[in-house]
Order: sequence, then C-alpha cells, then structure tokens
Amino acid sequence: MSRSDVIVIGAGTSGLVAAQVLARAGLRVVVLERAAMLGDAPDIGWVPEPVVRELELAGAGLAVATPDPWLSAALPGGGRLDLMRDVARTADQIRALSARDAERWPAFCARMRQMSAALEALYVEPAPDPLTSRAGELYRLGMLGLSVRRRGRQATIDLLRTLPMSAADLLGEWFESDALIAALAAGGVRHLCQGPRSGGTAFLMLHHHAGQPEGVFRPPRSNLRRVLAGMAGPHIRLGARVERILVRGGRAAGVALEGGEELEAPVVLSTAGPRTTLERLVEPGWLDPEFARAVRNIRARVVTATVTITLEGRLDSPPVVVAPSIEYIERAYDDAKYGRVSAAPVLEAHADGNQLVVAAQYIPAAAALEEAAFGAQVVDLLAPHIPNLRAMVRGVRVDRPAEHEYHGEMGLDQILFMRPVGGWSRYRTPIAGLLLAGPGTHPGGAIAGMSGLLAAREILGA
Amino acid sequence: MAGRYDAIVIGGGHNGLVNAAYLARAGRRVLVLERRPRVGGAAVTEEIFPGFKFSMFSYVVSLLRPEIIRDLDLPAHGLHILPLESSVTPMPNGDYLGAWADHDQTRLEIARHSPRDAEAYDEYGRLMHHMAHAVKPILGMLPPDPASLSPRDLAGLLKLGRHFRSLGAERFHALFKLMTMSSADFLDEWFETDVLKATKSASGIIGTFLGPRSPGTAYVLLHHYMGELDGVFRAWGFAKGGTGAVSEAIAAAARGFGAEIRTDAAVTHVLTAGGRVTGVALESGEEIAAGTVVSSLDPRRTFLELVDAADLPAAFADDIRRFTFRGSSAKVNLALGALPSFTCMPGEGPHLRGAISISPSMAYVERAYDDAKYGAFSRRPYMDIVFPSMIDPGMAPPGKHVMSIFVQYAPYHLTGGWNDQQREALGDAVITALEEFAPNIRSCIEGRQVLTPADIERITGLSEGNIFQGELALHQLFFLRPAPGWARFRTPVGRYYQCGSGTHPGGGIMGASGRLAALAVLADGA
Repeated sequence: MSRSDVIVIGAGTSGLVAAQVLARAGLRVVVLERAAMLGDAPDIGWVPEPVVRELELAGAGLAVATPDPWLSAALPGGGRLDLMRDVARTADQIRALSARDAERWPAFCARMRQMSAALEALYVEPAPDPLTSRAGELYRLGMLGLSVRRRGRQATIDLLRTLPMSAADLLGEWFESDALIAALAAGGVRHLCQGPRSGGTAFLMLHHHAGQPEGVFRPPRSNLRRVLAGMAGPHIRLGARVERILVRGGRAAGVALEGGEELEAPVVLSTAGPRTTLERLVEPGWLDPEFARAVRNIRARVVTATVTITLEGRLDSPPVVVAPSIEYIERAYDDAKYGRVSAAPVLEAHADGNQLVVAAQYIPAAAALEEAAFGAQVVDLLAPHIPNLRAMVRGVRVDRPAEHEYHGEMGLDQILFMRPVGGWSRYRTPIAGLLLAGPGTHPGGAIAGMSGLLAAREILGA
Repeated sequence: MAGRYDAIVIGGGHNGLVNAAYLARAGRRVLVLERRPRVGGAAVTEEIFPGFKFSMFSYVVSLLRPEIIRDLDLPAHGLHILPLESSVTPMPNGDYLGAWADHDQTRLEIARHSPRDAEAYDEYGRLMHHMAHAVKPILGMLPPDPASLSPRDLAGLLKLGRHFRSLGAERFHALFKLMTMSSADFLDEWFETDVLKATKSASGIIGTFLGPRSPGTAYVLLHHYMGELDGVFRAWGFAKGGTGAVSEAIAAAARGFGAEIRTDAAVTHVLTAGGRVTGVALESGEEIAAGTVVSSLDPRRTFLELVDAADLPAAFADDIRRFTFRGSSAKVNLALGALPSFTCMPGEGPHLRGAISISPSMAYVERAYDDAKYGAFSRRPYMDIVFPSMIDPGMAPPGKHVMSIFVQYAPYHLTGGWNDQQREALGDAVITALEEFAPNIRSCIEGRQVLTPADIERITGLSEGNIFQGELALHQLFFLRPAPGWARFRTPVGRYYQCGSGTHPGGGIMGASGRLAALAVLADGA
C-alpha cells in the first residue's frame, strides 16, 4: 500500500490546481482520474488572476481565448446577429434589429461589467460567512462590503436588485429586440433547470460574464488542464476509478480503487461533486442526518446534453446560439418541467477543429431520448445558420451525463455561503480530512481552478 | 399653518384609513379623500345581486397586524373575525386532502396520503413558525438603505445583521433558502405527496406572475404564512359583514380620533410649490390645502399620475416606471340558489365552512401558469373558494349562498386585451373547471360576477389589477419597494408620503404600510 499526504480525486481544473498548489508546498500529492486520457477539450471558464499568479501560468503556456464574434445568434427569419468583442461594432450589428437597442448597448455593457466586477471580488476569496463572529472574518466582510460600496451607490443597488431578477426582466428593461434578449438570456439558463423568466437567471447571466471584458457575455475557453497536467509535482494516475473513500474513526484515511487497491492519505480532496462524494463514495452512517439531508437536497438536475458533430475538415465558424426568442427558450423549458425533452431545444455550438460541439438544452436526465433522431434534429436546426454544415457532417454523437454527475445548479440558494450546503462553503466536510472542491463548491461552475486554489489553501491552513 | 387640515390622505383603502387613524390619533387634523362612493378600496362589501353581499375583491383576513387591531381598538368599532376552519383540496380520483383547525386531525389526514409526509409535517410546521417569527421584526422595520453610509442606515444594517445572527446558522440558512427558492423546490425538500405540495405551493403564487417552480415563490409562501389572528399563527378568517367591515371599522376608528372622510372625491393632482406639497386638486376642480399629503395609491399613480414629472428626479421616475405590476388574478363572485356538491365530499358538510382549493397537482398549477406566460388566461385555473354565507348567514338571503372564487392566472396583458367576450369566456372556464369537482355547480348559480384584472384596475384603481400594488418579487421588496432610496415612505417631493401596499412590507390586508408611514410622517414633525 502506497502512502501520500493528499489524495485528489478527479483531474479537472480544480483538482489539478489544488494538486499543484499542495505539491509546491512540499506535500506528496496523487491525483486519481477515472478517465484513461485527459483529452484535449477546452476548459470553459474564467481563469482568475490568483490562479494564474500563484501557479505562474502565464509563463507556462496558458492560453485563454474568446472567439470574435463571441456569439452569433441565429435570427428567426434566417440571418445572424454577430456579437463582437468590440462594443461599438456590436452596436452596429444590433442597429439592424433596433436602433434604440443599439444606442443602449454600450451603457448596458458598462453596467453589467460593473456588477460582474463585484461578483469577481467575491469569487477569488472564500465565500463570506454572514454569521461569523470571528474578528478576522468580520473585517473581511466589512472590506468586501466596502469594495462593493466603493463602486458607487448605483452599483450597489444595481447588484442587489439585479441578482434575484429573471434574465428576461432584466434584459427587457434595456432592450426591445427579442432576438438580442434571447441570445443573452440563453447564458442565464445554461445548465439550469429554469427558464429565462425565472428569478435568479439574471445572476447566472452575470456569472458567465465574470472575468470577461465589457460586452462579452460568455465565459472564455482555455488550455488550463493541459498546462497543469504538463507541470511537475503531483503524480497523476489515469484510469484510476475511486470506489470508496476510507473513513476511520471519523477521519478520512484514504481511498479504495476499483479492483481493490487501497491508497492511504490523511487528507482526501474530492472534486467528484458534493453528492457523489458524500452519498456514493462515503459509507453511509458517517454523516449526521441533518447534514445528510442538506446534501440530498442539493439541486443538480441534468438538463444539458452534448452533441458532438464530427466534420470533414475544419469548420471556421463563430459560436452559434439557436434561441431566437424568449418564448422559444421558455417553451423549451416548459417541456423539461414535465419531464420531457424540449421539442425545440436551445443550442449553442462551438467549432473546435474538425468538430462542432453543441450544448443542447433542455434534455432531462430521466427523459427518454432517441439519440440518432435527436442528433439529426440538431444538425437540422444548425444547418441554416452554418454554411455548408450538412455536407461536412461525418458523424454525430450524443452524450448525456448521468444524474449524479452534475455538481449543483447555480441557483441563488446554492451559491456563496450556501454552496455546496449552508454553513459548509469552506471546502471542509463533517469528516475530518475529507474536503471538497470543483464546480459544486464556491465559486461554482465556469470559474476555472479557483475552488481548487481555495481548498488547497484551506488544507495548508493559509 | 393655513387651512383646515394638517394632512390629506389620498385613497380610502385599508392602508389609507390606517394611516389617517394613526395621524388623527396623534392629534393631527386629517382628511381622507376617496374616489369611490364608499371607503375600502379593494376591501369592500357590496350587494351585487339583490340580497347577496360579497367581499368583492379581497376576501379573507389574516395578515392585519395585531398592533393595529389593538391601537385602533377595532373590535370596539365593529370588527369581528370569524375563523375559517379548514381547507379541502378535491382530487380528480374522487379523494381529497383536508387540513383542519385541529393539528392532530390534519396530521392523520396527511398520514392517509403518506405516513412519511405526516412525520415531516410537524417539523415543517415548526420551521415555518420560526421563519415567520424571524421575518416578523423585518416587516415592522424601516428598511435601511444598504448603499448608504449614513449612521442611521448603518445602524439599521447592523440591527438587521444582529437579527440574522441571532437566528443561528440552521434557521438563517433556511430563511435564505425561503427567500430565494421556488415553492416547488422548497416543498420537494419536505414532502412527497403531490396534492399536498400543490396546495401548499399555491399560496406562493397568489398575486404573482410566477409559477410554483419559479424562484421567489417560496417567499410569498412565507408571506402568507405570517397570517396572524389574535396571536395565533396561520389562522385565516372572514370579517363578519365581509371584508368591507374591516374597512368600516378602521374608518370608524379614524373618525373617532377626529379624522374626516370624504367619498366621491377623486384627487387628480397633488399641488406643490417650491418642491413641497401645498394640497390637492379634485376632479371637481376644488382645491384643498394641507401641509402634508399621503398617498395610499400604488407607486405608478402616486408618482406618475398625481405629481408633475418635473417635480421628480429623472432617475427616480425611471425606477418607478420599471416597477412591475403584471396583475395575474381574477375574481368570480357567484350568487347561489343552492350549495354545490363536491364529488369528494357529497352534500353539505363542514368543508363548506372552510376553503376549497382547486390545486389537485403541481402540474395542474404549473400548467395554469404556462397559459398565462404566453398571454392567455388559464384554461384550468388555480382557484381558492370560500362560501362566506356558511359562516355569516347575513351575506345571502335565507337558504341561499354566496361563493367567492379567487382565480389565477388571468393575466392583465391578455393577448388581444380584455373585453366583454373574454371576461365571460374566463367565467365559463372557471365554471367548467369547477364542474370537474362539483358537477352540479352550474345548476346552483343565480348570478355571476366576473372581475378580470382590467376590471379590478378600473374599479379599484390598482394598476394592472395587481392585488399587492406591485409584484411581491425579491427585487421589489424591502429597501427596493417601491424604489431604492425611497423605501421609508418619504418621497422626493417635500412632505409628500406614500403609504400603500406598494411600499414596504406590502401586500394583503396587513395595514403595516399605513401604520409605518404614519409613524414616518409624525417623526418628521408634521
């Protein structure tokens, strides 16, 4: 039986960041990844400055990119609305739909940037604990409050008012073009079992704006995982599927792998998702009923399927969103409410070499799906907006995550000090030596590596 | 000061009357001006068909603040609350789910559907009780402005922070969830019985343009849980003589303190000079002077109709313009020759002395919302039904009855707009949906009044027919109600105040806004 200081479960961005930070602190770290290969799919999400700085990623080949246009919205009557990185050029594009909306675009972008900046400040630190009575934490809370307040009265009010709103309401206050509103609102329902008229979707739209410049409302893509995997330090074992986390005397003691091998370590950091970790990997009985109930109640409904279209040759296309109107998205969601696959799904397609990777929503995990027909439907929906697509298609694959593989919806009741469950946002669990990181923990999905850094700091006692 | 009055209150709804009563009680010379021939606003009793009296709009009392009942001595002025003792939800299979005044009986009833839910019910009840207590002090508080650095606001924020801390972690987290979740998700954490969740979630959608799966509805659930009657939580009741009797009692109390009340007196304009109010102008052309004016109308009317735009800062006017109303409820009032028989409980019985909730499943209620989302009224609406004449026989001729049906959803912004045909179509849909559970209903009806949100707006003046004077959504509550920076009943116009449900804490026959606004007026030394 081999022994290390820390076992990290999962070689995603947060797992690898944590492993790297811990290894640099002199700990022996092993990362266990169930997949046989790391693959080279891009990592979606803002890579916050503290991660880049701490791991000196800038000199290690980190490439973070946002395509330009960052989104091309398929218009209902054919044609596309290109949303560019340049605010003025985007306004020119919008003018074809509405002169009034074009006028408002720059001010809208500035206001949203201001609000996302406040979120960013919350995301690069452990979640604030509003119930704390520790002086240090109170000081930090005060400073956080001031940092938001420093942005001005309007910004503070804006933020508090906007977070609980629906994306449809927020965007409706600014714009009249349904196509523009829907293209932006689609980012507010991503991976969420809610429609654009549901409260909290304005927050999710702003969440996906974090780290991006004014006028870009989708997260960037990077090669973060590749860069981290190439760094010396932690030992990464591929094809190592953890079957159980060993707990002895209420403390984490190591893990058991599929096949029976056991690895020992006094600290286990799991990025497998809060529910998977605490309900499937830990023997039941170690958690008190209150905590177990809170974990059981984490909402993590799978609503997104990935459709990978293999193409003959490279496709040069900006990301395309098929969400022509708020009503279209809302109706797609209605189907999911009653457990059905959306008759007309919301799509967002990203070209990646000779592949077109499409996120399709809403596809509830429990709903029956005729995959071949669905793949064909996705191609049909995209073909009018991507020249020559149909002729290039060589194969279509539909991947649906299992229900337990999703880490947790980004609803207002499941963020900050409520993520993964109320009072346990500092990466620790009631089992000593067992910690959590990954999208199911603060600051959530689409913020690459940050939870790993914060969890590693918690382990190091920093 | 010149003139006969210290203060004029615009609008004689319950909040306006409460406000006037408190001002008069403090020795101010107060005049209430009501546009309609009677006071009450949406809390009125009217004889719509000969011998049949209806609580035309608002129909149950529970949120009226006990301190108001005490301070104004309302029982002495004729307020008499008759408890509503049960709630029954008929199911399509002929079964039902009942909730009774007796806790153990309700528990047994739930156990009939699910023993697990019966277990959870006690714990759920305790939690909601604690949550209601946790929110209560906030309702009675002047909302501090979180963006202000003034000592008063900081002190308010500190007080709020201390209050939350005093709850302890578990309850604070539960409260946070209630503030941000959908009622469906919240109830899913507790119960498995669909009809139980559907019935409970229905109180989270009342007056909102949201479905039970929309985040924000759990808060409305709690808002309705705060019903407090004689100190007993979660007790709903009727006022003897209908809801109008509540208004009459408050009006009598106000008069008792010396307030003057004029009906048929519609205010068209608030007069100002040098950024301060000087009085009001009536539709008749008459002008009445007063150094203080309090509007109990909703924020849109208070600021965008009664006051010149030039008197308001542009940013504030924008905030009021984006305050949303989106009325979603209708009311059907029926005069009955005989009582309907429900399939789940045939004939007469104690269930007719309580509420009947048409909310047979979560999907039923959610589908009702789906229709409204796309601009139609619900083909099969959620309904909350009571028979006031069963408890207060004076409401109908001997042997006959009145039936009050609260209907949701009927969107104010109906595709194509409301007209006589659409109104009757809504009435027909309501009766048809009811027939599923009470097959003989049609033959019992002697008279039918259908009030769409457009009718509610026309008659009561409530913008877009919103029964809360503005949506009770998280982004329109507390320090944001009705607009950031102006949630303490004052306005950008000097000595002009607001006291309607469109201000904190808003909604229901609560009276809290009227009272808190009066305290604000008095604090300013009027």
